[in-house]
Amino acid sequence: MEKLAATSPAGVLLDLSGVLILLLAFACLGSKLFNRYVAYYGAQSVVLAFAAGVAASTFHSIQLWVLAGFTLAIKGIGIPLATRRLLLRRLALGRDAAISAGLSTSLIAGGGLTAFAYLVTRPQLLPHGVVAAAVVPLSTAVILLGALAMVLRRHTVAQLIGWLIVENGVFLGAITLVATFPFIVEAGIFLDIAAGVLIMLVFVSGLTRELAEASAAELRGLRG
Amino acid sequence: MTALAVLIVAGPLAGPLAAAMRARARVAGLASVAGALVSLAAAIALLAAQLHRAPLRGWAGFLYVDSLSGFFLLTVAGVTLLAAAGSVAYLSAEEDAGTLSAFQVRLYFIFFGLFAALMLASLETGNLGLLFVLVEASTLASAALVGLEGKARSLEAAWKYVIISSLGVTIALAGTLFLFYAGSALHLTSDQRLTWPYLFAHAAALAPQPLRLAFLLAVVGYGTKVGLAPMHTWLPDAHAEAPSPASAMLSAALLNTGMYAIIRFLAITQARLGGTFPRVVLLAFGFASVVVGVLFMVRKGNFKRLFAYSSVEHMGIIAVALGFGGVLGLYGALLHTLNHAIAKAVLFLGSGDVALRYKTREAAGVRGLLTAAPVAGAALLLGSLAVLGSPPFGLFLSELTIVRAGFARASPVLPLLLLALLAIAFIAFARTTMGMATGHEAVPEDPYQGRAAHWTSAIPLVVGLAALLALGLWIPAGLNTAIMHSMAAIT
Repeated sequence: MEKLAATSPAGVLLDLSGVLILLLAFACLGSKLFNRYVAYYGAQSVVLAFAAGVAASTFHSIQLWVLAGFTLAIKGIGIPLATRRLLLRRLALGRDAAISAGLSTSLIAGGGLTAFAYLVTRPQLLPHGVVAAAVVPLSTAVILLGALAMVLRRHTVAQLIGWLIVENGVFLGAITLVATFPFIVEAGIFLDIAAGVLIMLVFVSGLTRELAEASAAELRGLRG
Repeated sequence: MTALAVLIVAGPLAGPLAAAMRARARVAGLASVAGALVSLAAAIALLAAQLHRAPLRGWAGFLYVDSLSGFFLLTVAGVTLLAAAGSVAYLSAEEDAGTLSAFQVRLYFIFFGLFAALMLASLETGNLGLLFVLVEASTLASAALVGLEGKARSLEAAWKYVIISSLGVTIALAGTLFLFYAGSALHLTSDQRLTWPYLFAHAAALAPQPLRLAFLLAVVGYGTKVGLAPMHTWLPDAHAEAPSPASAMLSAALLNTGMYAIIRFLAITQARLGGTFPRVVLLAFGFASVVVGVLFMVRKGNFKRLFAYSSVEHMGIIAVALGFGGVLGLYGALLHTLNHAIAKAVLFLGSGDVALRYKTREAAGVRGLLTAAPVAGAALLLGSLAVLGSPPFGLFLSELTIVRAGFARASPVLPLLLLALLAIAFIAFARTTMGMATGHEAVPEDPYQGRAAHWTSAIPLVVGLAALLALGLWIPAGLNTAIMHSMAAIT
């Protein structure tokens, strides 16, 4: 398999997309409004679809084009739209009050995690032959940032977005494997995410009906 | 052979089919039982055929069944049968009592069947990506079961379960990515090569650094599904809030499916990096789980939570056994998997009868079970003795094997620590269940007169206990060969 050199136009575009995706994860970590979370997640997914498109045109892979289309349709448009319509608007969610650390603390922790991701997965540590090795630390950092958002935010909707950001990070890493994940697996992953979001929307709405506010801070019935 | 593999997965779908045709609980339940019976028969036939043949491969590596998969298929199919049989009585009673609507009952059987089929399918695939897809899908199906009752508590448990498990499994997917990075020297371009048998056979060509990360991420990720501490936090809630037959499926089938994935990663890692690194990882997570499980069992309270923490403890024991390694360790781990699955299925199914009868899940509200409901009481008592590892039940044998495996290693400290923890678990667990079984019955204000006392609910309990007793006295030659073959497949 040909390698995506960091100096080739496609390599540069892929790296740039990776950086943008990381920045959008930071933006999400640094905001307090629910519709911003969703907006940043949507933007991140659009950039991800663009990155998949770059890889698709470089490797002339129809399969990757289809995946780029899926990403745009499901993650870039479908999920943000559904979250807005079914959760944010219906439950009138505005400002997220259930954050257990200040925004600046969150961002500093995020910076630390990014540095850690680079330490563990910098390109020199990866075997030769990984396509676009520079993207791997970026994707690892996005995974960690998403997980951090899930830990620091206790509102169920914020946790849902955090999980989706983790998912985007993994997908960014998967692009660098290009031809290796069989199509049926990629399609299955999309199906899982769509079904997962759907079932989580049901739970969040149900919880909101039962409790005053569906914040995990209030989820204290079950302990010990 | 391929037909058998398909039959195993298709069997549990009989229940959803019946439910989709608007069958009532009894009919849909009996369809589930029939399907599970077919599935179990096919699993036994496949395992028996497997012993004399090369592993079953097909569909570009998407289908791969060797003895290890066969062994886990047998376990999960067996548990599915027990739980399906338990579902008939439990769901009929809930339907009659009006606690669950007809729609909820139909949903139950649809997701129960899907959950079983997806777990069985995930044991049959050799492709690591598809393994993720199926495990995540089974999480979603079972989350629907946990949240079925639609009350605030069950929704809370379902939310915790689905969000924590999804994150965990996504981390396992990242681990799979790193495994592929490690194999970039192998040019993993065809589907055939992304399968675990190919990676296992060519482990020598894997890059060590990414492989180490891959193993850690896989243990953390799939360990979330197994319920290894500290990723176990969803487990007690989900087990306590799900309908009892679904709790049995979670504890006795789902956790084992996660452990199966870890064993696959362990085999590849061991082949490249040697035993030390993966063993240290598994011992650390294993002991953490045993300690957490035992500590929370000391608390009195909800008896389904007690059983759930006992699952955390036992999954820890299996991880410790894998960490001890060697022939004894692996043998003990596999045997313990089967024994624990049967014992936990019996306990959760028995607890379902108790919960229906007393309308409480608090241990303090249950007294004199042996006189009030002899079958459920005896199942609870014998089941807890079995799960605590007393002779003559199967878990005594497997725990003994695991402790011996520990002593076969250099230091006696770890096996002694394990024994001490097991002793504490015995006291804590028996204190609660003894109290429930003995004494005078506090008559419930509104005594339950439904089908929970019906003889159908006793069948899975009696069958399960008989199997446990048989496994404690005698390991059938076929099972022994299957375990030996499974060990050969991963070392």
